[in-house]
Amino acid sequence: MNLSDLILQAVINGILIGGFYAVMMLGFSVIWGVMGVINLAHGEFLMVGAYLTWVLNRQYGIDPFIALIVVLPAMFLLGYIFQRILINRIIERPFLIALLVTYGLSVAMASTVKLIYKADPRVTDTALTGFWNLSDGVGIPATKFYILIAALIMMAGLYLFLQYTRLGKSIRAAAQNKEAARMVGIEIGQVYAITFAICIALTGAAGALISPTTSIFPFMGPVLTLKAFAITAMAGLGNIPGALMGGIILGLVENLIATLVPGVGSNLGITSSFILLVVVLVTRPQGLFGGLKPAEAR
Amino acid sequence: MATLTLTWQRLHLGRWGLLFVVLLLVAVPLPQFFAPERNLVTDSLLFSLTQMFILITLASNWNLTGGLTGYVDFGHAVFFGVGAYGTGILMGQPGWEPWPEALTLWSFWPAMLVGGIVAAVFAVLLGSATLRLKGPYFSIAMLGTFVAMRELVRVVRPLTGGGLGMTLPPYLNRPLFYYLTLTLAGLVVALMWWIRRTEFGSTLIAIREDEVGAEMRGINTTLHKITAFWIAAFLSGLVGGIWAYQNAYIDPDVVFLPNRTVDMVMMTMLGGLGTVAGPVIGAATIYWLRDVVWSNLLLFHQIAEGILLIIIVLGAPEGIMGVLGDRSATSLPRLWRKWFPSTSSESEQPA
Amino acid sequence: MNSQNQTNGQKPLLEGQNVSKYFGGLAALNGVDFALYRGEIAGLIGPNGSGKTTLFDCLSRVQDISEGHVFFKGVEITRKKPYQVAHMGLARTFQVIRVYRKLTVLENMLLSRQWRGESLFNQLRPSHPDTEERASQLIEFLLLDQLIDEHAGNLSGGQQRLLELGMALMPDPDLILLDEATSGINPTLIETIKDRIRQLNREQGKTFLLVEHNIQFIADMCTRVFVLNYGEKLAEGTPDEIVKNDAVIEAYFGA
Repeated sequence: MNLSDLILQAVINGILIGGFYAVMMLGFSVIWGVMGVINLAHGEFLMVGAYLTWVLNRQYGIDPFIALIVVLPAMFLLGYIFQRILINRIIERPFLIALLVTYGLSVAMASTVKLIYKADPRVTDTALTGFWNLSDGVGIPATKFYILIAALIMMAGLYLFLQYTRLGKSIRAAAQNKEAARMVGIEIGQVYAITFAICIALTGAAGALISPTTSIFPFMGPVLTLKAFAITAMAGLGNIPGALMGGIILGLVENLIATLVPGVGSNLGITSSFILLVVVLVTRPQGLFGGLKPAEAR
Repeated sequence: MATLTLTWQRLHLGRWGLLFVVLLLVAVPLPQFFAPERNLVTDSLLFSLTQMFILITLASNWNLTGGLTGYVDFGHAVFFGVGAYGTGILMGQPGWEPWPEALTLWSFWPAMLVGGIVAAVFAVLLGSATLRLKGPYFSIAMLGTFVAMRELVRVVRPLTGGGLGMTLPPYLNRPLFYYLTLTLAGLVVALMWWIRRTEFGSTLIAIREDEVGAEMRGINTTLHKITAFWIAAFLSGLVGGIWAYQNAYIDPDVVFLPNRTVDMVMMTMLGGLGTVAGPVIGAATIYWLRDVVWSNLLLFHQIAEGILLIIIVLGAPEGIMGVLGDRSATSLPRLWRKWFPSTSSESEQPA
Repeated sequence: MNSQNQTNGQKPLLEGQNVSKYFGGLAALNGVDFALYRGEIAGLIGPNGSGKTTLFDCLSRVQDISEGHVFFKGVEITRKKPYQVAHMGLARTFQVIRVYRKLTVLENMLLSRQWRGESLFNQLRPSHPDTEERASQLIEFLLLDQLIDEHAGNLSGGQQRLLELGMALMPDPDLILLDEATSGINPTLIETIKDRIRQLNREQGKTFLLVEHNIQFIADMCTRVFVLNYGEKLAEGTPDEIVKNDAVIEAYFGA
């Protein structure tokens, strides 16, 4: 394969993974936008979704894509419970509290999973495999393609939900202005709980989606959380189209660097996404596509 | 500024108590010299305590930027890492052609110093960008820097040994490292105490409390922030160098340990954000918890720490110093109300 | 660009030319021109949301101006940092009270001293006796001497406003911007504040620009008043003229 083929493949891979990244980080972004909570345990919820899928896959032979039917409601419930017992206490408190509490949560979750399942990496099997050749050696990996489709469907679902349903509108209202929302009769506590639950469900589903293509292990969370942060910085809080663009940018950057820089490419890819994050935060703190809340003076 | 409460007063230890503790610590390794056959003080004990002093130093450093100035750095360990690698590279012999001969095979002391200086310079450059960010954005930008540096080190293999790491000349002298780290810890704590008493410290507090107001009243906040930042970075870099030498081996994962940064935050919060004794108490407490308690619960200790962090942050956000200083909270009903508040308490808080 | 307005041969102390501030598509300030002269006590009024605090923010450099220029003592300050403008002799208070809540009244005052042109090394010593004396004097001047060692966070709203005024006065500024200095203060204390402002103006020649909702206060204190509405300067004149101005009346009470 010549260079242009490699680049083309990198672009394809970048777009495919980018779409996934978008759905992966939306939970994080919406929680931040609506509740003002930065969830450092985001990656761990994804990890839990992945492990759940793995169990369903190994024990019951269920294909990860089908497993979504179980994973979504299960993670929804998990999210709801967590919100009521823990997250509730950190909303509207200084951000350091939220950061540390969710960090503690992430450590506790990762260690618990490690205790139960040990640290060796696992993978799930899916029936949706294959590779569609476009030309010599350049093609579209089928699994990743289906992951992208599933991701887009979920994002579209979230978008429609937020735009057109009453509950969705309440959530958006609460994100804009809690006091006003309260006065209009929206019960904020319930809204928060549902929002968190939905976001965790989405995140867990992302975990299910990633399971066929990546190795799953208890400490896979932090890298994903940081990527979620990087994309949120680019996209803005709760901005779904922005998330898609941000995810694709990240995917492209990672894949192109991995391809173009020999040897150390893949590690440099991760570094570059973090450098991207820092650069975006410093140069355009309001996000590339708009909508990061201007941080208030403390 | 005479009216800022000095933390030792709150601990009710007084000057003599402080002297006693210092003398005790200085005396610990002495049995090794005077009565080695009795084996009262083992090497591993000295090693243990050395690690504790390192934690105390790091936590106090972090407190300067995080607690006093209010810029919560979630990636401060990056300076520790820069110092460690700086020292390691200078003491070793990187297999990288362009690297000048004059910068190899240094002895420890200059290497450690330059390691610290490199960390400080890095802090000035980094800070001029990241210190513009507020609140959580700063925290995460620093976390991102930490991770990026780790990967960068892994990538620049010819210079740093990449994922395989580098070894440093071995030097086994537990008492030396003990005294070295004890001195550094003592210096850092003394420095923090002194800063708190001067106008510089009050200015940092002002920046923490109200940066916009401070700037409006003529304070060059950028200058102050960057100064606090590089001082903390320099000292952390020194510690990194010491740690590297003692460990005789560095690699990206063991140096840039994610836990290290959060440890600093957690210890300082446990002890009391912004106080002088807070990081000391917090670091010592966590260290003993790990060494004594957790080691018996090996499997559960990480889970326990995660949960402990949550409990500390939610239950006692002012830390131990806050509880001690808040006389009204020493009664049980008040403590209960603190843990399950319906409104936030209005008790006096440590500055 | 040089400042151009001159009245009686006197150059303005503070001058704004075409000051505009945009947030996205919204113009919080749109082409505001004004000139303030040394020794004046001027007022700035306008309905809620007319841009008064935004103008203050732009003048004190807490926010950037999208278009236009600001001159202080003939020097362009449009792009200067807040602390630089403070060093030049401009001070302000805030609509939302800004004091260092965890520090005492005295410490708040000491930290607001004049910082002009000094290095960090100066701060490694405890505070200068002159500073302490000035702080004590100002604290007495503003009737806060009983509270000198009290944490600022424990003061009442009115006392905090007085403290903020004291902090603004510490560096001996030439121009003081007061943003709703009387909001939340009981009437007797308001009389004290009026008295103090007049005293500072008369004896030390200090210039004041006051933002107020309390029209009576403005009428009593100010020789000249600017009116803002929807980010634009609606009117300018003496309090009598303003009160009779149709456009102003409509802005406040009209449809």
